[in-house]
Amino acid sequence: MIRVDRASKIYRTKHGDVHALDRISLHVKKGEFVVVRGPSGSGKTTLLLSIGGMLRPTEGRVTVSDSDIYAMSKRERALFRANHIGFVFQLFHLVPYLNAIENVLLPAGVGQHQYSPEDVRELLDRLNLTERMHHTPSELSAGERQRTAMARAILKQPQIILADEPTGNLDPENSEEIIGYLAEFHRKGGTVVVVTHGKSVDRYADRAVRLDKGHID
Amino acid sequence: MDTRTQEAIMTISRLILKETLHRKLNFLLSSMAIIIAAALFVSFFTTGEAAKNETIRLMRDMGFNLRIIAQETDMEKFWQRGFSEDTMPESHVYELASHGGISYAHLTAILQTKLTWQGREVFLTGIAPELSPPGKKKSPMIFTIEQGHVYIGFEIAQSLELEEGDTIHMFGKSFIIAQSLPESGTEDDIRIYAHLHDVQGMLDMKDRINEIKALQCLCIVENENINSVVMLREQLAKILPDAKVILIQNIAQARESQRLMAEKYFGFIIPFVIAVCMTWIGILAWLNVRERRQEIGIMRALGYGSGKIAALFLGKAVAVGLIGAVIGFFVGTALALKFGPVIFKVTADMIAPQIKLLYWAIIASPVVCALSVFIPTMTAVTQDPAVILREE
Repeated sequence: MIRVDRASKIYRTKHGDVHALDRISLHVKKGEFVVVRGPSGSGKTTLLLSIGGMLRPTEGRVTVSDSDIYAMSKRERALFRANHIGFVFQLFHLVPYLNAIENVLLPAGVGQHQYSPEDVRELLDRLNLTERMHHTPSELSAGERQRTAMARAILKQPQIILADEPTGNLDPENSEEIIGYLAEFHRKGGTVVVVTHGKSVDRYADRAVRLDKGHID
Repeated sequence: MDTRTQEAIMTISRLILKETLHRKLNFLLSSMAIIIAAALFVSFFTTGEAAKNETIRLMRDMGFNLRIIAQETDMEKFWQRGFSEDTMPESHVYELASHGGISYAHLTAILQTKLTWQGREVFLTGIAPELSPPGKKKSPMIFTIEQGHVYIGFEIAQSLELEEGDTIHMFGKSFIIAQSLPESGTEDDIRIYAHLHDVQGMLDMKDRINEIKALQCLCIVENENINSVVMLREQLAKILPDAKVILIQNIAQARESQRLMAEKYFGFIIPFVIAVCMTWIGILAWLNVRERRQEIGIMRALGYGSGKIAALFLGKAVAVGLIGAVIGFFVGTALALKFGPVIFKVTADMIAPQIKLLYWAIIASPVVCALSVFIPTMTAVTQDPAVILREE
C-alpha cells in the first residue's frame, strides 16, 4: 500500500543543511496500522507529509497504492490525495469561518464523491457531532474540533489515514476517543499511519516504528 | 439536515461568501478602495460631459465665431468696413456643408454691403437658411427670412418710425418688415436683413456671397495642444482653397481650454487614484493570504489544486470589484448631481446619470481588483503547504 524507498529529505537553512530523513525505507501493507514514534525533530512529520504527497523527498521514492506519487503532476497528486488519503493533524486545521458540518464537507469540493447523505448523517452521529454541527471551530472544544477533523478525514472513505500527533492537544478522554475512531477505521480495512512521540496508540497498532534523527531504528 | 444543500455550500462561491462574512473588515476596506476609485471616475466623467455641453452652449449663445471670406480679401479694408469686398460663389457653402468630419457647423451664406438708404448709411445683409454638415444637424442659431421680407435694426426702426408689417422699398422692390429687432448695441442696429437671393438681386450679384458665417464645432478639438486656427485652416484649404477663415477668439474658447486642462489634470489624477487603490487592495489581499496560510495548507492537503486556491482570492476580488463598481457608480453620480449644477450653472439641467458608466465600471472594476490581488494570489498558490502544516 505505502512504500518509502531510501527517501531522504534535506532542509537547506541559513545555518546549514538539516537532514530530516536520511535514506529511510518503510513498507506499510494494505489494512495495516503503523505507529511511527520518535522525539520532536526526529523527522516524523516530514515522513508523514512525504507519504501524503505534500513534501517531495530530496531523493528516494514514495509509492502509494502502486503509484509513484512524485512522478505525478501537482494536479494529479492533489486529486490522488483527495481520493485516497485522509489527514488528521495535531492542530486540527479547521477552516475558522466554516461550521463543523461545512468543515466536514470541505473535501467534497474536490475529487470523487463516495458518500451519500445518509453516510454523512451517520458519520456525524457516530462522532457525536450532530448537536454541534452548526458551530464554528471557535465555539467547539478541543475534542469536538478533533472529532470534526476526524470526520473530515474519513468522509470520503479514503484508503489511508495519515495522522500527525492526533492526540497531542487532547485530554486523555478525548485522546482515547480519537484513537478509537482510528482503530475503527483500521478494523474496517483502512490503512493508518500515525506519527506520535507517545505510546498511547501502540496498543491498537499492528506495529510501531521508531524514527530518530532521520533514521528508522 | 439537507446534505445536498450542505454540499452546495462547499462551492468556491460559497467559500468566498463565508470568508467574506467572517473577515468583514478586510472586505469593507477593499470595497471602500474600489468605491472611491469608481466614484471618482463616474463623477468626473458625468461632470465632464456637463462641462462639454456648457462650453458648446456658451459658444452657441455667443453667436458665430468663424468667418469664411474670399482668399484675396484685403484684411485692412475688411476690418475697417466690417465685411469683405471680394466675393465667392454661393456654391461654396453647399460644398462645405457636404463634408463630414470637419469643425464647421451652422453654415450661413451671407452677402452684405454698406449703402445709403433713406439718407442714412445702413448695412444690407442677405442671409441664406443655415446649413449643417452631415451628422451635425442642429437647431438654427439665426433666424430665417422669407423672400420679400426684411428684419430691420433697432436704430433704423426708431429713426424712420418703422414697425412690423410696414412695407419699405429698396432698389425698386417692396419688402414687408417681418421683424423689428431689439437694440443690440452693435452695428446690427443699423442693419437691414433680407433673404440672400433678394440681396443678390438688388446688388446684381447673382449666386455670389462675400462671407460664410459658421460656428466652430468642438466635436473635433479634443486636445488643447492642437491649434484650433491651424486645424480649421487646414480643413478649409482642402475643401475651399480660394477661401480663408478667421476665428473670433472668445470666452467660450477660454472655457474650452479650461475643460481640456481639467481633463488633462484628471487624466493624471484618475490613474494615480487607481494605482493607490490597487496598492491598497493588493496589501489587504496580501494580509488576507497571510492570515489564511493554515486554511490554504489544509485545503491543499485535502486535494484543492492551485486553480481552486487562486479562484478563492480572485473570485473575492471580482466580487469586491462588482460591488464597488455598483456602489461607486451611485456615489459618483450622486456627487455629480449634487455638485455639478453648482459648477455648471448654464447646463445644470443636462447633468444626468450616465448608465454607460455603470457598464464600464462593472467591466473595469473587477479587472482592476483582480490585477491588484494577482501577486498575493500567486503567493497563496505557490505557498508550500508542507511548511505551513509542519508549523506548530
